[in-house]
Amino acid sequence: MAVCIAVIAKENYPLYIRSTPTENELKFHYMVHTSLDVVDEKISAMGKALVDQRELYLGLLYPTEDYKVYGYVTNSKVKFVMVVDSSNTALRDNEIRSMFRKLHNSYTDVMCNPFYNPGDRIQSRWALLPVSDPVQVGPAFCVLLPSFCRTCLAILVAKMQPFGKQGRKGLFKL
Amino acid sequence: MRDFKMSVPDYMQCAEDHQTLLVVVQPVGIVSEENFFRIYKRICSVSQISVRDSQRVLYIRYRHHYPPENNEWGDFQTHRKVVGLITITDCFSAKDWPQTFEKFHVQKEIYGSTLYDSRLFVFGLQGEIVEQPRTDVAFYPNYEDCQTVEKRIEDFIESLFIVLESKRLDRATDKSGDKIPLLCVPFEKKDFVGLDTDSRHYKKRCQGRMRKHVGDLCLQAGMLQDSLVHYHMSVELLRSVNDFLWLGAALEGLCSASVIYHYPGGTGGKSGARRFQGSALPAEAANRHRPGAQEVLIDPGALTTNGINPDTSTEIGRAKNCLSPEDIIDKYKEAISYYSKYKNAGVIELEACIKAVRVLAIQKRSMEASEFLQNAVYINLRQLSEEEKIQRYSVLSELYELIGFHRKSAFFKRVAAMQCVAPSIAEPGWRACYKLLLETLPGYSLSLDPKDFSRGTHRGWAAVQMRLLHELVYASRRMGNPALSVRHLSFLLQTMLDFLSDQEKKDVTQSLENYTSKCPGTMEPIALPGGLTLPPVPFTKLPIVRHVKLLNLPASLRPHKMKSLLGQNVSTKSPFIYSPIIAHNRGEERNKKIDFQWVQGDVCEVQLMVYNPMPFELRVENMGLLTSGVEFESLPAALSLPAESGLYPVTLVGVPQTTGTITVNGYHTTVFGVFSDCLLDNLPGIKTSGSTVEVIPALPRLQISTSLPRSAHSLQPSSGDEISTNVSVQLYNGESQQLIIKLENIGMEPLEKLEVTSKVLTTKEKLYGDFLSWKLEETLAQFPLQPGKVATFTINIKVKLDFSCQENLLQDLSDDGISVSGFPLSSPFRQVVRPRVEGKPVNPPESNKAGDYSHVKVSGLGRWHLPRAVRASAKPFLKHSFESFSERKGCVYLKAGFSVVFVLGQCFGKQSQ
Repeated sequence: MAVCIAVIAKENYPLYIRSTPTENELKFHYMVHTSLDVVDEKISAMGKALVDQRELYLGLLYPTEDYKVYGYVTNSKVKFVMVVDSSNTALRDNEIRSMFRKLHNSYTDVMCNPFYNPGDRIQSRWALLPVSDPVQVGPAFCVLLPSFCRTCLAILVAKMQPFGKQGRKGLFKL
Repeated sequence: MRDFKMSVPDYMQCAEDHQTLLVVVQPVGIVSEENFFRIYKRICSVSQISVRDSQRVLYIRYRHHYPPENNEWGDFQTHRKVVGLITITDCFSAKDWPQTFEKFHVQKEIYGSTLYDSRLFVFGLQGEIVEQPRTDVAFYPNYEDCQTVEKRIEDFIESLFIVLESKRLDRATDKSGDKIPLLCVPFEKKDFVGLDTDSRHYKKRCQGRMRKHVGDLCLQAGMLQDSLVHYHMSVELLRSVNDFLWLGAALEGLCSASVIYHYPGGTGGKSGARRFQGSALPAEAANRHRPGAQEVLIDPGALTTNGINPDTSTEIGRAKNCLSPEDIIDKYKEAISYYSKYKNAGVIELEACIKAVRVLAIQKRSMEASEFLQNAVYINLRQLSEEEKIQRYSVLSELYELIGFHRKSAFFKRVAAMQCVAPSIAEPGWRACYKLLLETLPGYSLSLDPKDFSRGTHRGWAAVQMRLLHELVYASRRMGNPALSVRHLSFLLQTMLDFLSDQEKKDVTQSLENYTSKCPGTMEPIALPGGLTLPPVPFTKLPIVRHVKLLNLPASLRPHKMKSLLGQNVSTKSPFIYSPIIAHNRGEERNKKIDFQWVQGDVCEVQLMVYNPMPFELRVENMGLLTSGVEFESLPAALSLPAESGLYPVTLVGVPQTTGTITVNGYHTTVFGVFSDCLLDNLPGIKTSGSTVEVIPALPRLQISTSLPRSAHSLQPSSGDEISTNVSVQLYNGESQQLIIKLENIGMEPLEKLEVTSKVLTTKEKLYGDFLSWKLEETLAQFPLQPGKVATFTINIKVKLDFSCQENLLQDLSDDGISVSGFPLSSPFRQVVRPRVEGKPVNPPESNKAGDYSHVKVSGLGRWHLPRAVRASAKPFLKHSFESFSERKGCVYLKAGFSVVFVLGQCFGKQSQ
């Protein structure tokens, strides 16, 4: 499905970039890098629209001979760029949209990781898990890390609850 | 086939070029390039002319080179037609004249079919030929004396205008009854052979094409409004006969005319500025062009003379005929889609794309512009030569830059750079490649100043940037500038270290070492021809320095301030006993300044904690200190750090040569043949405990030795401030011995003063107080002690223990709590002495080091052999301190306090007779 997925920080440096044909990784770096021009342009054009009505999905950024480059921007101006093979006609706009939505969810999960510093490169082997399995890219972007994150959070919440309750009780009594 | 194709695209073209007349300026015979371009420049300055009796403006485009096959397309778009030829020639004698004139005619033949008029400028010729008045030839004695060139050109352009105007009127007033010739582009000619020329279809085609042609002529003649009308009519006619190529041209003409109307400042950017001087200020340019254009539009005379469409003079007509900015783009799109049907019109399509992009750039519609550019990228011209490819990519890059797509621009510029050195090129242009690569740097948000990277973590496209740096290194190497490649490679290593794999680190350092073997890296900024300066790249990461600490001098060499002499003057600086402001200032100063001193002429040390981030052994050579404030002789060190070492202490040493306040600014290294000056201020995450220290004047050094043999046992582990060498002597009660202490000045300064104080253990004073006696005067007589001289100091030891009150004595002797057996047999080793550390902290490492300088402080230990009758242990303690100091510049420092410590040890001597 997608041959390359990139997460770009607000300041336009890559947080995460991975492509399936690893032997020609640089090509995708160039492709994603140049696509940022279009992303920037689209964002600046969008800036005039109302913030809450904004569409996060940017659509096709530009087609090349072999690939199509799609873009997506979160409200915090983090950009997702996805490169898909243009021969793959099964991928319609809707599929791309849903892939981006999944990617966004995965990104949110990474952000929830208490060990992750926002702005750092996303180093985790499992994070986003984009393209290692081309067939799987659509349905399962991320498996391990987000679930770990969720349990992590659950534990944190569970641990904090007694304190919270006590505190509240105390407050009520007063 | 090739002849029919217009093969050379003009990448600089813009929509306004449609209204220009093309004039070729060429040299004939041998004309030096310098002279030719001098005249060419002057000719080019005449780029627009207001025609005398009408208020129209003519625009001229000058070229010194124009491919004749492009000229063939002149009917298709008249601005491609060479209408004027100016030749410049040298001719020094009248006998050469006929030949020169012949050459001019030959030159004229090349563009002959399209020329309206031509001129020959002859330089150097004098004589009767010059006297004959000729319209087509102008004579000038030399290249300096030719003030009338501009005037001549203006006349020439006016003559061009007359021809143009006549052609326009001729074509425009063609009645439908006359047979209209079919205009066609070169590659169409054979298609129309044997076509029925009487069909309606054919006639319409002829009409439509002619309309379009007239539109072009009107536009060139400065009649914008008329041209719009003609174009509109032409579009309708051609659409009905599906003559797509010419329909495209008509639409493009419509767009051009509208663009000229909407954007009088021009869309061509730089090329526009070249044509219209002063168009750097668009508003001003607008004022200059606009009135003329409007006057043309409402000039009834101009409109009635052409007799085609008188109602165009109205405002309504103008608004209707002129395309809106949005429509311009739609029409361009349409035109390009028609052009794209014809393979042979690739150049036309490409140029149309470029023109549209320039318009869109002005309209700030980057997204659409990028679509046009994308299309332009895919237009397949014939097999391009390498130079043309370079030109094409460069222009694409420029256009992307124009619409604000800096990254895309950088991408294409890089492709152009790579094209300069394509393997198929016989003589690769590494210089051009390097220059283009440098221009891509901003697009990849890469600056070549390492300072921009030292702050915080690196945030960029490391993979892409690394590739670019590698290319810069390679290009500069092939350019034959090893200094540049060393600089770039150092930069790569320094800034991208975190992103290099282990193998890459090895490769990069290996090639760096190869380069530096020929040209060592320096700290000098390298200035590039383009005005760019490459700042030096210090290797602050090879090795990484984590901690810098200035070390105090070893204890024996440490200067002590003589409080006794200076005591009263301590707080003379401020009249106040206490001031919070001063206290605050001191606090700040303390951050930087360290509270010990270094001594001029003594070896001073700075300790760095370093580690090696490389996966192999790192050899650091010539590592020394960078200081300021004081003349400092740095003694560089070489070190070799194991692969990925942990923190590793390195001591850098040097000798201050003058006095004052010295600041350690950083250190210098040579790693892989690259010299680096690393300033501490620029190092991120470095810990330093102050870097400024005071250097005081040189002080003498004293070596002390005694006549007594050294003791094997250290009775008194020395404290930080005291270095002692133990000597021992055994004496019986009543026995006396002389202890000779040799004082040798081994420093460079004369020893001026000697003071001897004795410290006697208070509790034992009454017992041993008067064992020692000395006469200082004899020694002082030898002072001041010049460097290298030896003085002696004699101490008399006389043991006189009073056994008359034995009880007390034994009591006192056993005070030290040492149990003593009653047997008169003992070993000298059993003596127990408790050290007398006079409340000062023990600092073993320093004292160890200080031991190397044991010549400075000497403790003599007299081990007292007590008479056999004594059955007690005792450890009386005497301390005599000799002090020497030098006094200069109002500062008094104690150079070294040294002490001769006599410890009265007790031992049980063997029974002796």
